[in-house]
Amino acid sequence: MAGFLSVLRRLYLSVYNWAVFVGWLQVLVLAVKTLKESGHEQVYSAVERPLQLSQTAAVLEIIHGLVGLVRSPITATLPQISSRLYLTWGILYSFPETQNHILVSSLVISWSITEIIRYSFFGMKEALGFAPSWLLWLRYSTFLVLYPTGITSEVGLIYIALPYIKNSEKYCIRMPNKWNFSFDYYYAAILALGIYVPGSPHMYGYMLAQRKRALSKSKRE
Amino acid sequence: MKVTVVSRGGREVIKGGFDLNDSATVTDLQEAIHKRTKKFYPSRQRLTLPIPPGSKDRPIVLHSKKSLKEYSDGNSGNLTVVFKDLGPQVSYRTLFFCEYLGPLLLYPVFYFFPDVYCFFGYSVSSVTHHPVQTYALYYWCFHYFKRIMETFFIHRFSHATSPISNVFRNCAYYWTFGSYIAYYVNHPLYTPVSDCQMKIGFGFGMLCQVSNLYCHIILRNLRGPDGNGGYQIPRGFLFNIVTCANYTTEIYQWLGFNIATQTIAGYVFLVVATSIMSNWALIKHRRLRKLFDGKEGRPKYPRRWVILPPFF
Repeated sequence: MAGFLSVLRRLYLSVYNWAVFVGWLQVLVLAVKTLKESGHEQVYSAVERPLQLSQTAAVLEIIHGLVGLVRSPITATLPQISSRLYLTWGILYSFPETQNHILVSSLVISWSITEIIRYSFFGMKEALGFAPSWLLWLRYSTFLVLYPTGITSEVGLIYIALPYIKNSEKYCIRMPNKWNFSFDYYYAAILALGIYVPGSPHMYGYMLAQRKRALSKSKRE
Repeated sequence: MKVTVVSRGGREVIKGGFDLNDSATVTDLQEAIHKRTKKFYPSRQRLTLPIPPGSKDRPIVLHSKKSLKEYSDGNSGNLTVVFKDLGPQVSYRTLFFCEYLGPLLLYPVFYFFPDVYCFFGYSVSSVTHHPVQTYALYYWCFHYFKRIMETFFIHRFSHATSPISNVFRNCAYYWTFGSYIAYYVNHPLYTPVSDCQMKIGFGFGMLCQVSNLYCHIILRNLRGPDGNGGYQIPRGFLFNIVTCANYTTEIYQWLGFNIATQTIAGYVFLVVATSIMSNWALIKHRRLRKLFDGKEGRPKYPRRWVILPPFF
């Protein structure tokens, strides 16, 4: 019984990882193609569907961690997934004025390259039991460039969205109400920007440590 | 007795170690270390017995009141202790006082200086407070005043100190939540609940606060005046049915406040505080059950709710 469940788990995870891999591959191909043919203003409309699908699918990974299907701690993946979902739905989808900015291109290209490498890495591990060392190297090295470009794009887009957020009053709850609660999406966005200040060096440092561990471990093997 | 002091990496922390009297206590060792190293005062030191490599047991911490002889069985004359620096320490009294002073002082600011709401874009013409807001002020300030009094006159702490980083963390927690709740309860556009609901909320809350005080008094009497009590099975009053009755009464007390004031901010605080206290309660409950297992003449820990009957 246990053996059957473990095979089922491997099968499910393989399918999941390769499916999301295909999604992100689509994003990258469409983004580059549109950039070359039509210019950066059109990139968002070209990639919108695969981007939303692939990024939202990542919510499943939180469930995988909680249920114990995978070993990774959710404390590491939660901040990353939150910021991705915030940008995808809370900024880009909600405020179309941001969609034709050039930072959208740098954002989706940074994200898609990172995710293509990451999902193929896990996909191979689940399906074949191992991943080639060049893929391991890619997984723990591309972030050195893609984290800064991705984070800059995220912060930039939030900043650009600010005036539109303030004027639209979207997602705001105002007093008075029965539950004496208020929420201001504009100030929440400013708070989010603030979190990037300590958050980014923390995440980058975490990845550097992971890199050291992973690459030295593979050298020893 | 020759005592060698090493770091967790195996390096000698005190070159040459110490030559202490055979009847020396751990306190004497701590003072000797302090004298030699100047900056590591005793409450900063964590001394443990070395664990054999590969063993998964938790290291045995040396207790300040015990004599060194008790830890060096079999090899009397020689003792090796592992030293860890806990970092700058602050007494629990100081820590609690700082934490509680914030809410005590910040909350009334929102009540007595409604001009602060101008910062948030609200025009404040006149200061009329609903009765609920006034009672909430009294209730809140009484609560934190009570906590400060308990810190100085009731609580007996097993560990005298806490790392200084906890001051920032804990103060951030209390002061931020205190301000967050105070902002909404004293808001110019605050919507009060019914008079009946308010009375039920505050009445129930006060009952729980008084019960909470009584729980603290019971806990205090479990420990001797020199803090020597160690762990005992709590008995009497609600402790007969709940291990951490003090946390239970605290949680229900906040529930009373929230029923009376009805703010999301207050309920968020309740949920967070409950989860933190439940965590502590689980640890304490497990520790007491492990300690009082009924073997070797020790009493067996009775079946009790952990913290929140009827939930767990």
